[in-house]
Amino acid sequence: MRTLFDILAEALDAQAGRGELLVATLEAEASEFVRLNHARVRQAGRLERAVARLRLVDGDRQASCAVTLPGLGAGRDAVAAAIADAVLALRAAVADSEPDPLLDVNQAPVVSDDDAPDAPFDRAAFVDAVAQAAGDADLVGFCAAGPVARGFCSSAGSRQWYRRSSVAFDWSIHLPDDAGTRRAVKASWSGSALDVSAIATAIARSRADASVLARPVRRLSPGDYRVLLAPRALGDLLEMFGWGGFSARSQRTGQSPLGRLARGEVSMSPMLSIVEDLDAGFAPAFQSDGYPRPRRVPLIEGGRLVDTLVSPRTAREFGLVSNAAADHESPESMRVAPGALRADEALARLGTGVSVSNLWYLNWSDRAAGRVTGMTRFASLWVEDGEPVGPIEAMRFDDVVHRILGASLEALGDTPLRMPSTDTWDSRATGGLEAPSALVSALRFAL
Amino acid sequence: MQPVSSGPVLPASPSPGSRVTVRIVEETSERLTVRRSIIAPVELARDRGAMVTVWRRGGMGYCASADLSADGLAQAAAVADRWAQTVERHGVFDGLDLRTLPEAAPLPVATAARAEPMPERGALIALLRAESEAMRIDPRIVSWTAQLRLVRRQQSLWVDAIPRSHESVQIVEPNLEATAAEGAVSQTRSLGGQYNGFCRQGGFEVIRASGLVGGGLRVAREALALLDAPECPSGVRDLLLMPDQMMLQIHESIGHPLELDRILGDERNFAGGSFVSLDMFGRYAYGSPLLDVSFDPGVPGELAGYASDDEGEAARKVWLIRGGVLQRPLGGALSRARAAALGMPLEGTANARAVGWHRPAIDRMANLNVEPGGTPFAAMVASVERGVLMRTNVSWSIDDARNKFQFGCEWGQLIEDGRLTTVVRNPGYRGVSATFWRSLAAVGDAASVEVHGTPFCGKGEPGQVVRVGHASPPCLFRGIDVFGGAG
Repeated sequence: MRTLFDILAEALDAQAGRGELLVATLEAEASEFVRLNHARVRQAGRLERAVARLRLVDGDRQASCAVTLPGLGAGRDAVAAAIADAVLALRAAVADSEPDPLLDVNQAPVVSDDDAPDAPFDRAAFVDAVAQAAGDADLVGFCAAGPVARGFCSSAGSRQWYRRSSVAFDWSIHLPDDAGTRRAVKASWSGSALDVSAIATAIARSRADASVLARPVRRLSPGDYRVLLAPRALGDLLEMFGWGGFSARSQRTGQSPLGRLARGEVSMSPMLSIVEDLDAGFAPAFQSDGYPRPRRVPLIEGGRLVDTLVSPRTAREFGLVSNAAADHESPESMRVAPGALRADEALARLGTGVSVSNLWYLNWSDRAAGRVTGMTRFASLWVEDGEPVGPIEAMRFDDVVHRILGASLEALGDTPLRMPSTDTWDSRATGGLEAPSALVSALRFAL
Repeated sequence: MQPVSSGPVLPASPSPGSRVTVRIVEETSERLTVRRSIIAPVELARDRGAMVTVWRRGGMGYCASADLSADGLAQAAAVADRWAQTVERHGVFDGLDLRTLPEAAPLPVATAARAEPMPERGALIALLRAESEAMRIDPRIVSWTAQLRLVRRQQSLWVDAIPRSHESVQIVEPNLEATAAEGAVSQTRSLGGQYNGFCRQGGFEVIRASGLVGGGLRVAREALALLDAPECPSGVRDLLLMPDQMMLQIHESIGHPLELDRILGDERNFAGGSFVSLDMFGRYAYGSPLLDVSFDPGVPGELAGYASDDEGEAARKVWLIRGGVLQRPLGGALSRARAAALGMPLEGTANARAVGWHRPAIDRMANLNVEPGGTPFAAMVASVERGVLMRTNVSWSIDDARNKFQFGCEWGQLIEDGRLTTVVRNPGYRGVSATFWRSLAAVGDAASVEVHGTPFCGKGEPGQVVRVGHASPPCLFRGIDVFGGAG
């Protein structure tokens, strides 16, 4: 991958004409994918893919073109031909354009190198280990393994590089439905290299965790319930803030679900502090305009919004100071400050209510008001006097984030969980978040 | 980009007795955007690669690569074969011979429907700028965007180096979006939904049909009207859903639950399962007797039309629900074979689909439509004493069995004593799929059918976002739990 990046950079140097600046981000992966159903393989294979997102800047005009490069092992001639083809199209697009008053790309030659070694993935060893550890359990899961790279290069001499190799295995153990109600526990394991022993241990733990699901399913009525959100559930909720919440552009155009927080009309709990923190190690320290990103951007401190993510383009449009956010202005490496709630005391503090392991399919039900809906999922349990009683039927919640994480927030856990992103929508994602559990005095279940 | 699909050097089967399929996909696209009166940089994309799949008796494996050289494809076949060997030892395919699934005989080449030529880029930008400017009618309009995405896609499939199928389509996704804000209230109105609900195959006729030309003023006026409107009331009322919300209702609470791979459990770790089980087909009352739902890859212009699916099965119109009774799942050849091996032989649909060369095919929706009934729109409105009309999806959420849902729309209007009256904002409704469709009380006539869809149907591990089409008339439901916004 690094060789391909160097070849791409050479091609930019060679093909930028007089007065032109060519920049490119590279997204590359060599991935082994395995999906399992009933602890057996449903679909498995390998993907090799590299996409160069080119941008041609000619004076005050610009255009972009995403080009799939002809293989991870493509040589100079093949890459040069692909880039030359795209540059021709870009010149035509620039000719059709007008001056772009929001154009901002870093023309300084920034060089950085953040590379982690590749680790082999033994297909047969992985499949054998999972089949053996799962035994007769109904395991459904997905593994994505191999290196993922990001790069930024320019004909002005920038060379910024980031590569990580990982094995991310995400699975669930399912019990037979109880009168139409699904019962399952979710788990995951990730590391920089395959460790079949650790995966087997984690699968054994999840099988043991699933035993509580065998108890009768509790069906709840709509209403307010005390809930203990596991770190993954809180993470699911906080990921919604990436949908315009912290975006400066969304704030300025009336489209942010945190608009009321930004205007100071509401606040969240003083316990809540959130930082975009590259030191968490989830994401590269550069973005597609070639600017190095600050290591830390505090977003919420003591329940108040103290900053937003500002891309260079947004900064120009609204007269703000950029903090080199990506164009989507979503957090990529979010850290939530822990609280004081110890894990071994959490259920006792919950008392009677619902322990929620995961939330699912969240969406804004009234974006301007910060109202969010979604479902409980997987091993969400009814708890009485601090003791798990049994699983609940999946419940729909519909509530306001300022309330959930404001007046209703009683405590945050003392042990944050690292959650690297497992998204694979178009390509394997970088990014992730770190969050503790949250004890909430009232979450509104609607259906 | 030079076409390669006419002459790649295709790999031989890497192991005796196995079969190898090669699917090459080439896609180019262009996005033009005018946001807040500023022309954004033109965004082009060029993508090309191959999905090579090796089918052994008890297992299949794939390797996807953009290296289309003879060596590149041969190496991909070798990797795919190694995966297929591993899967043979621990696969879910007991009792099947997967080698029998890909059919090798060539299918007739599909001819693309005639499309009106698209104007030059400069003319399209000028059109978007004019509509953008038309939205600037009030200082409370704080965001206004006109956008157009054009996609050209070609796909060819070979089975053991024999050409099986070839598809070529052009896709058009126009949109307008205006946000009005004042104080703590913000309202957005769009052409076909903020996530491109108006999207079709074709040429310039799609842009004209979308209402984009001259639509900027209307969209902005409606955003302002919503800003001044009262919240949608809460309570049990009749609900009249317009086609650009029926699109989402069909998608989430008929389409996904009927996907056979979900019913077989493949998606339980991610997208979820289904409240539908294998034994329901042929007898389960999914909705009222007025409900007829088809899988129809042949509707002109509908977004997911095709002659054959991505594993080479010829596509044709079939009924999924007829007279309210569930008929068949959305299941491609492999899923049907797996169901049959479980003792449940089912008829299905040609719907093994992938987002591109870099993902393997799985069961997906394609064109999934509610067929027209016989009730004119005016008669539906006249039949409602106390109800709400809702149009244009803006919020969607449903449980992992595709049962408990909550959806929201951009635009609501009260129906009182048989008349459309007050415009209301933040209209939403909740229900349960298993009972919601049984409350269907009237289905609009053929004149009221609209063709919508979405470019953003997500599913699968690894994830895939594919294009689907949904055509429907307006539909009337009795006694639904509706509500408005705010906390």
